[in-house]
Amino acid sequence: MSRRPGEVVLKGKGVVEGHVIGEALVSSMPISFLGGVDPLTGRVVEKGHDLEGECLAGRVLCFPHGKGSTVGSYVLLALRKRGLAPLAIVNEVADQIVVVGAIIAQIPMVVGVDLSALRTGDLLEVDGSKGTVRVLRPCS
Amino acid sequence: MFLTREEERALDGELGPAVALAMRILVKLGDLYGAERLVPIESAHVSGISYKTGGDAALEFLRELHQMGARVAVHSTTNPCGFDERILPLLDLPEEVVRRQRELVDLYGRLGIARTLTCTPYYLRRPRPGAHLAWAESSAVVYANSVAGACTNREGAPSALAAAIVGRTPDHSLHRPENRQPGMAFEVRFRPVDEVELWAVGFLVGQVAGEAIPLITGLKGLSDWEFKGLGAAMASGGMTAMFILAEEGGGGASRGLEKVQIDRGEVRDVMDRLSSADEPELVFIGCPHCSREELRLIAALLRGRRVREDRRLWICTSRHLRDACPGLVKAIEASGALVLADMCVVVSWVERLGVRTVATNSPKAAYYLPGLSGVEVRLASLRECIELACSRDPSQ
Repeated sequence: MSRRPGEVVLKGKGVVEGHVIGEALVSSMPISFLGGVDPLTGRVVEKGHDLEGECLAGRVLCFPHGKGSTVGSYVLLALRKRGLAPLAIVNEVADQIVVVGAIIAQIPMVVGVDLSALRTGDLLEVDGSKGTVRVLRPCS
Repeated sequence: MFLTREEERALDGELGPAVALAMRILVKLGDLYGAERLVPIESAHVSGISYKTGGDAALEFLRELHQMGARVAVHSTTNPCGFDERILPLLDLPEEVVRRQRELVDLYGRLGIARTLTCTPYYLRRPRPGAHLAWAESSAVVYANSVAGACTNREGAPSALAAAIVGRTPDHSLHRPENRQPGMAFEVRFRPVDEVELWAVGFLVGQVAGEAIPLITGLKGLSDWEFKGLGAAMASGGMTAMFILAEEGGGGASRGLEKVQIDRGEVRDVMDRLSSADEPELVFIGCPHCSREELRLIAALLRGRRVREDRRLWICTSRHLRDACPGLVKAIEASGALVLADMCVVVSWVERLGVRTVATNSPKAAYYLPGLSGVEVRLASLRECIELACSRDPSQ
């Protein structure tokens, strides 16, 4: 697939409204927010996770779907209150933990997106109302 | 999703910000799962009560809901928290942790939720057959659907709370009769020798069934507590929210379904994988919380026995049952065992006791304890668990 600036527009389903532009943080693994992400630092702490040590704050977090305890939804709110929440969330499959978390933390969210076209460091435009993800500038 | 005019107004904030937020959660989830409307619920059961598992994230959300003026609209109950006040001296928790756990429980109470602190709300008030519920706590969900004949999906902590506040839940999955049909047939080809072998069958069924509703044949004459544990094991082995137990041959219900045969060898393998310890420092019975029938059984097994000085025997049940059965509690505690309420060892801080090994008859507890408390587990039947806890010489 061409990765020229602005050409890649991925169409998904908008879950939480909001329009943001930010840098992508892409994972190929499900994330458990409860236990897997430190609510005090915003860093992924799950051992062996491909994002281990990465900070979610201010990035467009792209991962397949959530996993683990449903209390994980509250972790997204805790991150939000500390200014450590992701700027937006892009998932392949919608699951209840992440959807509820994005609603209560008011994080723009798009689901049903094929993540294979996205790389960490891409500059993305996410529109949670239209359900679109546009690659404004691919990482080099 | 179709909303009544009243529901539209709730979503728009006319009933306050808490109801609007709860409606937003329900409507989004309903859209996601293809619900066409909301259905009124008889009750809600809320999880995420233990400060150990929910932490500050749950506490902050509850504080926020309380500030928004949230109140539940239907009969609502809570799951266990992290401790029974009786064992606080043993756990020696930091003051701050104790304070936050108490605050969390208190906040649920302020929302109008009954502080039942049990995973077996159906022993307090049995759901009516056919009633719609919004229950979290996977073992209670299986019991409600499979034994009580009520209808609930496997809710998460926030979605059950949202349903409690609105008094409705999205009408999809197990709320619809067409989705309550069996999807996979299991034939148990041996007779389990005790409850732990039976429950390990459940764990295996849960692992294999995926989202399908299991239809199980070959199990006969189960009592209520055996049913309860069977469902709890299924829900922890996989994502089972409902099962159906059928007579031999399935009465035609299994026609056209994928068939799976279960033999003792595979079940023993499941038990071996869940069991790594030998001699336990703590013996834990009551996952899910013990029924009256189990308390009776335990009291009978402990008659004239004494718990070893170097071991502990903890029996977890609801405060409701502990208060209702003082004679049984006294008989059990005469052995040196403790009958604990409001808590579950799985969501408590047993590592604070210096305990490294736990024996239990619950595959669910055996599955979760190593990850949550870093202990090793020995999976053994109730009878064996009592033997492990007690002195060999009955005169001691």
